[in-house]
Amino acid sequence: MPKPTDLLQGTLDLLILKTVARKPLHGWGIAKRIQALSGDTLSVGQGSLYPALHRLENQGWISADWEESDLGRPAKFYSLTPEGRKQLERELKSWSRLSSAVHLLIQNA
Amino acid sequence: MRTIRIIQRRIHSLLKRSNADAELQREIEMHIQQLTNEAMVRGVPENEARVIALREFGRIDSIQEECRDTRRVSWIQNFAQDVRYGVRMLRQAPAFTAIAVGTLALGIGASTAIFSIVDAVLLRSLPYPDPDQIVLLFHVPVNQPDALQGISFRDFTECQAQNRVFSEVAGNAFHDLTLTGAGEPAIVNTADVTPEIFPLLNAKPLLGRTLLPEDGKPGAAAVAVLSEDLWRSRFGANPDLVGRSIALDMRSFTVVGILPATFRYPEFAPHQEVWISVRQDPLFGPRTTQPGVRLLGGIARLKPGVSLTEAQAEMRTLGARLAKEFPVEDSGLTIRLRPYRETVVANLRRALLILLSAVSLLLLIACANIANLLLSKATSRGREVAVRIALGASRARIVRQLLTESALLGLLGGVAGVLLAVWAVWSLHSFVPSEVAQISSIHVRGRVLVFALLLSLATALAFGLVPALLATPSNLQTNFKEGGQRAGRRGGQRVRSFLAIAEISLAMVLLVAGGLLIRSFALVTSVNPGFDPNNVTEAEVSLPQFQYSTPQQWTAFSNQLLPRLQAQPGMQDSALAAPLPMDRQGQATFAFSIVGNPPLPPGQSITANYSTVSPGYFHVMRIPLARGRLFSEQDSSSSPNVAIISDTLARRYFPNENPIGRQMRFGFPPNDNVSRQIVGVVGDVRDVALSKEPGPMMYVPFAQAPLYGGEVVVRSSLGTSSVAASIREVVHSIDKNLPVTDIEPFRDVLGQSTARERFRTFLLGSFSTIALVLAAVGIFGVISYSVAQRTHEIGIRMALGAQRRDVQRLVLGQGAKLALLGSGIGVVLAFLLTRLIASLLFGVSTTDPLTFGASVIVLLGVAITASYVPTRRAMRVDPIVALRDQ
Repeated sequence: MPKPTDLLQGTLDLLILKTVARKPLHGWGIAKRIQALSGDTLSVGQGSLYPALHRLENQGWISADWEESDLGRPAKFYSLTPEGRKQLERELKSWSRLSSAVHLLIQNA
Repeated sequence: MRTIRIIQRRIHSLLKRSNADAELQREIEMHIQQLTNEAMVRGVPENEARVIALREFGRIDSIQEECRDTRRVSWIQNFAQDVRYGVRMLRQAPAFTAIAVGTLALGIGASTAIFSIVDAVLLRSLPYPDPDQIVLLFHVPVNQPDALQGISFRDFTECQAQNRVFSEVAGNAFHDLTLTGAGEPAIVNTADVTPEIFPLLNAKPLLGRTLLPEDGKPGAAAVAVLSEDLWRSRFGANPDLVGRSIALDMRSFTVVGILPATFRYPEFAPHQEVWISVRQDPLFGPRTTQPGVRLLGGIARLKPGVSLTEAQAEMRTLGARLAKEFPVEDSGLTIRLRPYRETVVANLRRALLILLSAVSLLLLIACANIANLLLSKATSRGREVAVRIALGASRARIVRQLLTESALLGLLGGVAGVLLAVWAVWSLHSFVPSEVAQISSIHVRGRVLVFALLLSLATALAFGLVPALLATPSNLQTNFKEGGQRAGRRGGQRVRSFLAIAEISLAMVLLVAGGLLIRSFALVTSVNPGFDPNNVTEAEVSLPQFQYSTPQQWTAFSNQLLPRLQAQPGMQDSALAAPLPMDRQGQATFAFSIVGNPPLPPGQSITANYSTVSPGYFHVMRIPLARGRLFSEQDSSSSPNVAIISDTLARRYFPNENPIGRQMRFGFPPNDNVSRQIVGVVGDVRDVALSKEPGPMMYVPFAQAPLYGGEVVVRSSLGTSSVAASIREVVHSIDKNLPVTDIEPFRDVLGQSTARERFRTFLLGSFSTIALVLAAVGIFGVISYSVAQRTHEIGIRMALGAQRRDVQRLVLGQGAKLALLGSGIGVVLAFLLTRLIASLLFGVSTTDPLTFGASVIVLLGVAITASYVPTRRAMRVDPIVALRDQ
């Protein structure tokens, strides 16, 4: 099994926001989901996941609640705030700009 | 919304740090559990699975720390760090801190002290409800609206009956009565009022009641209201006093109520101790029926919604009607209204505003000094700042750090300043002339504290900002290359020189203003008052009217008193007079006419000050006789009426003729139409104030115009206390119930008469001294700093053969240039500004060359001295050390 690629700096916020946009998830769930949705290409290390989560929470883009998890004990579930949704849109826009620019560059260079 | 959430969360994490940590712990534990489960699903045994999970998760503590970092409440923690760092910086440079805090404390202390006085006098509302509705009524000649007079009782009643603009109209007069039967006989300040004054001023009694309308009717029982102070001091706060009687001027009054100490009227005058109906007063009572005696001060409260202009118009109509109806007394007169507040503060406003401006100049100087200090400090830290910027600190962050330091300085200075102000106000108490305000009402209070706090913070921030911005250059490299020195010098040295020049010029303005006032004061106190106050003691003796009711009794008293006084050992001369020069109760001014001159047009009158004196008076006071003779024992009630006039009266109204033998008509009402022959002319006396040119004056013999007592004046080389004892002994040998009060050397009375002048001269003088010190500190700072910066340059110059003398000229020259420029600008400014204090000056012009010259010399001297210290340091520079250092 090839080792999943490390995440490009700065894209982690976008991925987290996008992941919790559909439904509230706890940290482990977010990591699993990113890995699963990217076809095991992207992996998020715990060392960067939790600080990122806490940073996003401090910035008011996601909020957290303690809820019962499938494991039968309370877990901290993160969900997107209205401001977070706006931020997600901004990040999506800037991501698509960046990726198309990178794409252009690769094609034409 | 988002902001609110962020704030909530940050507050939460600040307050419940341990709670947040526990949550993080649980969250991570949960994650590890999931990983363990995952491994167990793959078939790993549980204990091994946990080890794998932990390994996969990575370093728990560093992740925790990183999470904690994200929730760090950065600005608060940065601020705390800034404060800690700032305190450390201030402690590392104690000399800098001491000078800066001291400078600020002086500036803020002085401003706060003056502001306390302004607050107490100008800003504080008067202690009556809706004080701006209160007006005073005066009868004035139509063509002389500023010659304010009282209102006769009859006209007062007309005002009361006819007015549609006032909700209350009341009258008051003041008279001292003798209180007997409760310990030593005492003179009590008595307000003779009409009962309306109590509702008008909303006076609520502490006990009993105030005067009721019935008490003011003719024939009503004699009742009195006492002040709380009198009730406590003389009657031991006995609640049963209400209903009992007291003796005023030997007549019995029933006490009906006690007024609380908080009630005062008039606000700035000596406290009133007893209130009675004006009809019951032994002096004024009988005169309420004489329409020519304007004995009452009128006070009224405007009806809500009535403007002063409307009320004034109404009173003008009334005045015209009175003039028509009672032409004998009221022709040519009208009624004028003045707002009460204006009357109370009118004389003080100008002087206080001048003091406030002066103290603002002082504060400006202090600010310039602070800016200068901070600037030197900040530029010498250029390299440190450069390092911090290179290490990633943002410019904003560093500016904030420097501003925090300034704010700290500001607060320290503010606290020191407030302490200084409290001390200053406390020690000024003895200086404040009593008419400025009730002394106890001047305090450093809430409003003043807020003022001081804002002032110190604003000062520190405003004057810390420029240095902070200058210290953080946008171009980092220059700072590194040049060790942070030249960057500061380029903008800094110019700003610093500018600040020093500004300081010197402002100090110059204050110095000139202070100098002018000091010169005025010296002139006022050295002015010849027209009499010799040395070795003269005065004492007040007042005869109770109900016991001594006839002029014959008054004369008899004086005839007994004066020979007995004269017989006391050590007495050179003694006399009785009323009033004396500088009398606190004011001078008596009466209209007079000259027999044989054509009558004046109606509504016009000539007036002169009046005094009734016993024959010895002119000897006691050493007032010189210019012509004719002085009074003698032969001038008695049975001999022809005579008068002595002053030089000014003689010159003004008897030009080019000998007044001796001419007749004048004047006198104490109701004897104001008595003709008197002029027998002598004496020298002029400054009787109202030392700074006032003497006006016309007329004297009559006490025996021909006796009063119920008066001022005893005694010339004696003995000490005041033995003279006082003699006077008391003699008076009490005649009547042991007579009070003898206000025994004072006449020198002191003169001193008190210049209390105002002394007060403001002292204040402005201190301001200019402080300004001088601050300017010296400022120029010292600039030159020292410049020397420190130029050590290298000076080293090179010396290595190239410059002599110490050359270095001295270089550095001193710099200081002299600043001082000359500053005082030049200052002289121009002072030239423009001193006219504002013209009204406070006496005998000096606003452009007095002596004061200007002396100020320039003092300022230049101080400035050169201040630059001399750093000059010596520059001269001691060792070229080898200086060059090696770089």
